Amino acid sequence: MGGLWYPGWRGVAFCGWRWIHPGSPARAAERVEPFLRPAWSGTGGAERGLRWLGTWKHCSLPARHPALQPPRRPKSSDPFTRAHVEEWRRRNKTTLTYVAAVAVAMLGASYAAVPLYRLYCQTTGLGGSAVAGHASDQIENMVPVKDRILKISFNADVHASLQWNFRPQQTEIYVVPGETALAFYRAKNPTDKPIIGISTYNVVPFEAGQYFNKIQCFCFEEQRLNPQEEVDMPVFFYIDPEFAEDPRMINVDLITLSYTFFEAKEGHTLPVPGYN
Amino acid sequence: MSTAMNFGTKSFQPRPPEKGSFPLDHLGECKSFKDKFMKCLYDNHFENALCRNESKEYLECRMERKLMLQEPLEKLGFGDLIGGKSEAKK
Repeated sequence: MGGLWYPGWRGVAFCGWRWIHPGSPARAAERVEPFLRPAWSGTGGAERGLRWLGTWKHCSLPARHPALQPPRRPKSSDPFTRAHVEEWRRRNKTTLTYVAAVAVAMLGASYAAVPLYRLYCQTTGLGGSAVAGHASDQIENMVPVKDRILKISFNADVHASLQWNFRPQQTEIYVVPGETALAFYRAKNPTDKPIIGISTYNVVPFEAGQYFNKIQCFCFEEQRLNPQEEVDMPVFFYIDPEFAEDPRMINVDLITLSYTFFEAKEGHTLPVPGYN
Repeated sequence: MSTAMNFGTKSFQPRPPEKGSFPLDHLGECKSFKDKFMKCLYDNHFENALCRNESKEYLECRMERKLMLQEPLEKLGFGDLIGGKSEAKK
């Protein structure tokens, strides 16, 4: 707000926003003044607070001149502004009530979200990830999307306590969505005792993982390798043809399939990646 | 893979295979088919489309030796290879 220049007050009344040194003795009284008023309204409280810090100087001189008084400067001695003060207080209280009600409603909504989401999942059948239902007869009818070549790269990992040699037999394979593909891993048990392993897999990028359908593989079931035995483990899979129509997959050209073998022991449950 | 703080990020949900797990080929009965398939892949720069015949033969070998449940080949996506003629390769 610009300066309120009033010719009669020229000498002292540069009433505007200006910086004032906190230590200035000339204004000390005016700084203290609002806090001594019993009916100190909350309106413009921020200004008062800052004013106390000496940052902004909202000139109080016009307060002594009723005609110039801006409506935001109430004094309890003035009956006209007392009504205003009451009005602002009432409005503040109403606002505060509304804000508190909204906060409580938000809290309640967050609690209600859990059963509501469960209900939503039941009705729409989306179990956490939107997957187009795929039945085995879909494989019969699916048409390969020949112009979208994807590179599938293979990775093999073994848990530290499992002493198998486990590796893929091909580093990558080029497929198109809608085409079934076969890939091989090899596992060797170099020890002298039979070891039972169980594996899980992972696909990155995660969003592409929903299109990665395995028809048959060697995961999630215990596989026993005798001493010094080496076996080929096939994975028969396909990429859902709807992959080519997903706009989020436009830039996805490389999908990595990663298998990890763990040792199957009594009482151990397979650590499944991700949150369930 | 996912740390404790990643509540908002998507995580991967592994799904079991549709037809279950392949029994292990302990006796290596289909090893020759597998070798043929791998050789085809190596020769063709790992393009799967060119080696589908070999993969079909490998799966047929498995089915014959009871290492895999018998399935009509159409259900495995080899409908175009059934007649013995290979499809037009990409």
